[in-house]
Amino acid sequence: MKVHFRVLAIALSCGSLILPLAACGSSGSGSGTTIKVAYQRNLDNKVRVMDDYLAVVKKQFEKANPGKKVELVPIQASENDYYSKVQLMMRSPRTAPDLVYEDTFLINSDIASGYLRPIDSYLATWKDWSQFLPTAKAAAKAQDGKTYGVPDGTDTRGLWYNKQLFQKAGLPTDWHPKSWDDLLSAARTIKQKLPGVTPLNIYTGKAAGEAASMQGFEMLLYGTGQDPMYDTASKKWVVNNKGFTDSLGFLDTVFKEKLGPDVQDALGANFGTTVGTELIPQGKLAIDLDGSWMGNNWIKTGGKPWPQWSQVMGQTAMPTQNGQAPGTVSLSGGWTWAIPAKSKNPDLAWNFITTLQSKQNAADYDIRAANIAVRQDVASDQGYLGSMPGIDFFTGLVKYTHYRPALPAYPLVSTAIQNAMESVTIGQATPEKAASQYASDVKSATDGAVVDRSAG
Amino acid sequence: MAVVSSTKPGVRRERVRDTRTRSAPRRSRRRTERLVVDAVLLVVTVVFLVPLAWLVLASFNGTADLRVRVPHPFTLDNFHRVLNSDITYRPVLNGLILCGGATALCVVCAVLAAYPLSRYESRYKRPFLLSILFTTGLPITAVMVPVYAMFVQVNLIDTMYGTILFLGSSALPFAIWLTKNFMDGVPLVLEEAAWTDGATSLQTLRHVVVPLMWPGITVVTIFTFLSMWGNFFVPFFLLLSPDQLPASVSILNFFSSRGTVDYGQLAAFSTIYSAPVVVLYAVMSRVLGGSSALGGALKG
Amino acid sequence: MRSWTARPGDGAVTATSGPGAGVLPHPPGALTATSRTRRTVLRGLPLLPSVVLMLIFLAGPIAYCVYYAFTDMRLTGASATHFVGFGNFTKAFGDANFRNAVWLTLVFTVLSSIVGQNVLGLFLAALMRNASRGVRAAASTVVVVSWVIPEVVAAYLLYAFFRREGELNTILRVLHLPQQNWLFTLPIVAVSVANVWRGTAFSMLVYSAALQEIPADITEAAEVDGAGRWRKLWHITLPMIRRSIGTNLMLNTLQTLSVFGLIFVMTRGGPGNRSETLPLYMYEQAFQDSLIGYGTAVALMLLVVGGLFSVLYLRLLRTEV
Repeated sequence: MKVHFRVLAIALSCGSLILPLAACGSSGSGSGTTIKVAYQRNLDNKVRVMDDYLAVVKKQFEKANPGKKVELVPIQASENDYYSKVQLMMRSPRTAPDLVYEDTFLINSDIASGYLRPIDSYLATWKDWSQFLPTAKAAAKAQDGKTYGVPDGTDTRGLWYNKQLFQKAGLPTDWHPKSWDDLLSAARTIKQKLPGVTPLNIYTGKAAGEAASMQGFEMLLYGTGQDPMYDTASKKWVVNNKGFTDSLGFLDTVFKEKLGPDVQDALGANFGTTVGTELIPQGKLAIDLDGSWMGNNWIKTGGKPWPQWSQVMGQTAMPTQNGQAPGTVSLSGGWTWAIPAKSKNPDLAWNFITTLQSKQNAADYDIRAANIAVRQDVASDQGYLGSMPGIDFFTGLVKYTHYRPALPAYPLVSTAIQNAMESVTIGQATPEKAASQYASDVKSATDGAVVDRSAG
Repeated sequence: MAVVSSTKPGVRRERVRDTRTRSAPRRSRRRTERLVVDAVLLVVTVVFLVPLAWLVLASFNGTADLRVRVPHPFTLDNFHRVLNSDITYRPVLNGLILCGGATALCVVCAVLAAYPLSRYESRYKRPFLLSILFTTGLPITAVMVPVYAMFVQVNLIDTMYGTILFLGSSALPFAIWLTKNFMDGVPLVLEEAAWTDGATSLQTLRHVVVPLMWPGITVVTIFTFLSMWGNFFVPFFLLLSPDQLPASVSILNFFSSRGTVDYGQLAAFSTIYSAPVVVLYAVMSRVLGGSSALGGALKG
Repeated sequence: MRSWTARPGDGAVTATSGPGAGVLPHPPGALTATSRTRRTVLRGLPLLPSVVLMLIFLAGPIAYCVYYAFTDMRLTGASATHFVGFGNFTKAFGDANFRNAVWLTLVFTVLSSIVGQNVLGLFLAALMRNASRGVRAAASTVVVVSWVIPEVVAAYLLYAFFRREGELNTILRVLHLPQQNWLFTLPIVAVSVANVWRGTAFSMLVYSAALQEIPADITEAAEVDGAGRWRKLWHITLPMIRRSIGTNLMLNTLQTLSVFGLIFVMTRGGPGNRSETLPLYMYEQAFQDSLIGYGTAVALMLLVVGGLFSVLYLRLLRTEV
């Protein structure tokens, strides 16, 4: 007993020294035959779209490449924590995955950090690349002119509206708002005629994250004029422009007149899911400014199966501020598959990308995830076109669509937008005050690369 | 005496005092006083109870919402739904391994370290104790980036034992401080005998001091385990494979997707997740004969 | 650690001197210089495992944090890291959001820890001495369970409690009192109350133990002298538990300053930044905006705030650790 205790004490004191050293001896786990694929797993355990799809492709790939293995590394976390963790993983060859799923809004930032590997040499030999739409090819192209990722689909944004509620409120069920005022007056009518129904949802605030910036704010901002966010000619971020304040003003109106959801709900962590699986199917929301993928909530395998949705829900384009040309606004994003710079097995990883993006698999995924196809051959595929009601409408928006500035500073600018939105939504700041706070935030985030448009 | 939960000596002391105070008006004043005290305490108890009551009631409720209500219908369904390997069994087991291992490591090291700190004098002692105490105020999120980098360097990343080492080390400052305070309360007289018999300090510690301070060690164990069980950041960043992640990570995911989960399941999972620490606490404090011992080391 | 001498017998330097505390006897016989060194090393030896673990896993990373705090390190957006001197610190003081976070941290700490947990803990401990057994057992169980359950669960329970359709408003409606959307209108108060709910047990346990130590004769003597309740508290009870108060305040403050999970789950620092204390601000900067350098600078300043509070307590109450 005596000896036992002393041995334990000594073992512990030595162990803490030796253990790390001993561990050093065994080299990293990477081998030439296995690739690790990191992706975000939905927080809702019921939603397993990506997991199911990857499992199928993994099986296919391992069958076609005997001896090779694919290890899936799902990261179940909120968006921010997912990015932080993947970025930490990519910093070291030991933990870097061989393939990573990157949102296009973040990819330029990660490229600037040197986390990703250019794939131009692979693309040059891949004949399928010619099938990709030019805009999609540009999404993962960095300032250095090299391409770092293969997009697996895109999306567009517009207005979803509940035709039954519109009918009840005496509004046209074939609805085409021509300006922000049209949109607001429809919302006011609903508020007046249908108490208990939320007239209009616009994502806002910090918790909604990129959904607030993109679905919410930029859908307004890009309808206010040319280059409202980034001036490509001078390569500077635009601040203090009237369009920015006007967009915040629209938000202010929506929440001040209580045309939007209850503020506490709107700022909640997972409001997007609430909208898709509760408010819309339960007929509690009349108009929703949202993405092309919403139908995915309501199909048989979605979070909230709702067979009648295609009759109930209509889609229409988001108008520009005063109906100025082209009259319609949309934004597009999407995700890409990229190879980390510190991947030990880039060739095999590339092979896996080509399997993921074979015409058949690309179509399969676009259908599963309700994506807008970025491959021309998929876009004209009958199975894809017939997969989801409304997909032709959202594909049609591609010609009006805008892409977010593909720049490393964009994520910080996006955070500044969310902060401005949140302070207006809760009435902490006027649109003017929030816009000037945004100006100073962006100035510090971009080291002063801003152009002040307050005069014009 | 016997402030928190009654122990026998306390009851005795009260009785002694009652017999001492003879006069009738004083006795009746004491009685009214006790009634007032009881009433105030009951109000506080109810206030503290409301959120807990929601947890328990909602977990058995088939139609739970955010209000405290009698389950209607009463059901075990919420538990059935979350009791599966992915959501509950594996994460809870991982959590027990992680926190159990780290607690064991931490307590053994703390007892060893507390001995010289309690028994010998040194001018470095006070600065040492103060500086380790300050580190308890550091938000753990701040050190995660360098810790990750270090874990990658020495290849501890994604290993249970690496995470155990870090969890155990980060709990050490408070554990050492607490153990030292408990050890200060153990009389030196008994050690003198051992010393004169020629025992080494480790032998003295093992055979004289440790047996005398089991209650203190128990308290340190509880404190350490409690502080680890809820830790989310450390395992989330240091463990990469999803099948190694503990319950603290899965519960945060559960809450984060609260737009879709129903409250009943959430409450059921929270109940299961809280059970190990509540049970540990209950068992330990029963062994100690009242939870008042828990405050013993902290009285200054 | 080099020169461990046996503890002086009066126990003045150590916090509690046990009943039998005294000097360890010097081993018999004169000591030579080498054997004294040998003895010192042997005596310090049990510290080794802890010191090694803390050096590797705490001191090392903290040292790195100090280094990061003077750089513009980012998790994404730039590949190179530059030394920026005190840039992060001057940036922080120029940032209205940082100043707001400092202010809210102080409000949160004073409200929930120094006033809330501390006073309520002492109050409960004192009441329980005079309560009947059943009430005492029930009260202590409920208060302690609120403390034992994991932080995220506690946070969610309080989130549910304060929500618009939550229990607090239901109670207020029954009492015909005005209801509010607490997490929205008074978020810092809501999270402070939550922290009181969660942390009071700790103070209560500390003070229960301390009050037990006061000999009954002293308070009874005071009663015989006709001392009033408040005078008794002020002149006898509080001075006698002074050291417990100091220790408790210090531990509570350090703990409360770094509270993250509770606020994160309840409000995420919002709405706007109305409940964004320093740990949340630090998290947002370091992990949402990926500004690791700036975030760690904020964390260091938080540590400094904790240090200032501790020095204050040590001075005010002259307690020893």
